[in-house]
Amino acid sequence: MKITREDIDHLAELSNFSLEDAEKESLKGDLENIIQYISELSNLDTDGISPTFQVFEMENVWRDDEILAQDADRESLLALTKEEEDHQIKIPKVL
Amino acid sequence: MKKYEITIGIECHVQLATKTKLFSEVDNDARGKSPNSCVSPVDYALPGMLPRLNKAAVEMAVTAGLALNSTINLKSRFDRKHYFYPDLPKGYQITQLYSPIIGPGYVELPSGTKVRIEHAHLEEDAGKLTHFDTYSLVDLNRAGTPLIEIVSMPDIHSAEDARDYCKELWRLMTYSGVCLGDLYNGNMRFDVNISLAEPGAEKLGTRAEIKNLNSFRSVEHAVAYEYERQSKLLDRGEKVKQETRGFSDATGKTTSQRSKEESQDYRYMPEPDLPPLNLPESLVEEKKKSLPLLPSDYRRMFGGLIPENILEILLDYPSLMQKLAEVDKKFATKVANLFSSVLLAEENASLLNDPLPSKDQLEDLISMQENGDLSSTAVKSVFLKFFDKEMHFKSTETIAKELNLIQENDTDTLEKIVEDVVSDPACEKAVADFKSGSEKVLGFLVGQVMKASHGKANPATVNKILREKLK
Repeated sequence: MKITREDIDHLAELSNFSLEDAEKESLKGDLENIIQYISELSNLDTDGISPTFQVFEMENVWRDDEILAQDADRESLLALTKEEEDHQIKIPKVL
Repeated sequence: MKKYEITIGIECHVQLATKTKLFSEVDNDARGKSPNSCVSPVDYALPGMLPRLNKAAVEMAVTAGLALNSTINLKSRFDRKHYFYPDLPKGYQITQLYSPIIGPGYVELPSGTKVRIEHAHLEEDAGKLTHFDTYSLVDLNRAGTPLIEIVSMPDIHSAEDARDYCKELWRLMTYSGVCLGDLYNGNMRFDVNISLAEPGAEKLGTRAEIKNLNSFRSVEHAVAYEYERQSKLLDRGEKVKQETRGFSDATGKTTSQRSKEESQDYRYMPEPDLPPLNLPESLVEEKKKSLPLLPSDYRRMFGGLIPENILEILLDYPSLMQKLAEVDKKFATKVANLFSSVLLAEENASLLNDPLPSKDQLEDLISMQENGDLSSTAVKSVFLKFFDKEMHFKSTETIAKELNLIQENDTDTLEKIVEDVVSDPACEKAVADFKSGSEKVLGFLVGQVMKASHGKANPATVNKILREKLK
């Protein structure tokens, strides 16, 4: 599968990455190789086989609805942010 | 007849009233709490944190599905929807795209319109952003709150039905006990898709989506505004743009927010951190059995007993309907009347926050009225006293006695008062007038007896005695 420069730009935008031109060039080749490698799977006959979403065969893994004390609190959350105000995370204006 | 036919589909986000969030064990009720005080490392997405599914949220989703007359999909699973926005620290929302827990169903509106439900799925809410001039603030208290998103089919064709559909969803979700239903705090939010087409057209027109409406009135107004806006465009031969629009309550208008011409690429993928659900049939059966009474049950229960317009008003107050269902059916009409004409009167609005009278208090009250122990005015006074903190736990009779409101029904006592009144010289003329055929002075004489009895005489009995005496 041919990966174009537009594909790379699109993927970079979706992933919130800013890439240098040189990086884009080398990623193009890398991605093509990866897709080539994975596409081997397309040769398998999967007719009549239901999709696998996980390999552990677990189901209904859930917990009770009880409030538990947390290891980390608001202060440790806000300590991770660049800026805070009024106990909130301060960020550049978004719309 | 309108020139264009309007077609409306509605997506509704319902916050589930669980104790904890969907994937973390922190307090889910952040109302009135300080920003970022209800958060866990899962909610702010520290590396390596794993979601832990709340069983109660799954159970509430099942209950909600049953209230929507929906099939419950025993097998369902979660997916990741990727996008970058500061209200979502993980960079993806956990939702159910491919296999939602709630399948097709329907909601029947009081008007008879049936709105089909396409599906409803479980997902997590995002945080709250507050915007200022040059910056925004992020509060993650709401991030991870369990939601179900209810997606309707495009079965709605008027602003009124759009409003009634949202209202009926609110009722279904509050009556079934899965949502607190506090619209002011965003417990339910509506996204409304609206398109116009010539009547009889095979294809629907291009739709605009009005996001994040949080009241029934804004839903109704936004639809009405969009009809005008889109029909003007079509009249001029212009095209409606497929876009997301916001609605302002202040201006009553919708404005463009972002164009949806190129569809967003969310790179959905199966959520690897959460194994799929495969619910036992018994869980669904259990929820079916414990499903509280829903609006349709109340309509069946009280149809014929309570006028429809009053019933629809009362249905906006789940606690009143639950109380009505408790009292003996033979009192329901009169209790409903007290609720709608006294309790819901504007001047008594604050009482709705207080505990309601007990079943016994209400039944005794109506019995006492029917026995003639209380006049209809006295009934209202006693009813209002039920909400008084001092009186709330007292019996109806005790309250009526304390307020000196028990009617005098004793014929001997009343006859004596009547005799005193008719022999009073001040009433001489009235008595003479009545005897010579003037019916209307009887009212005056009854009034005099009421006065002499300090308002406690039963007016009907007084009337009867007076007629006897003056024959």
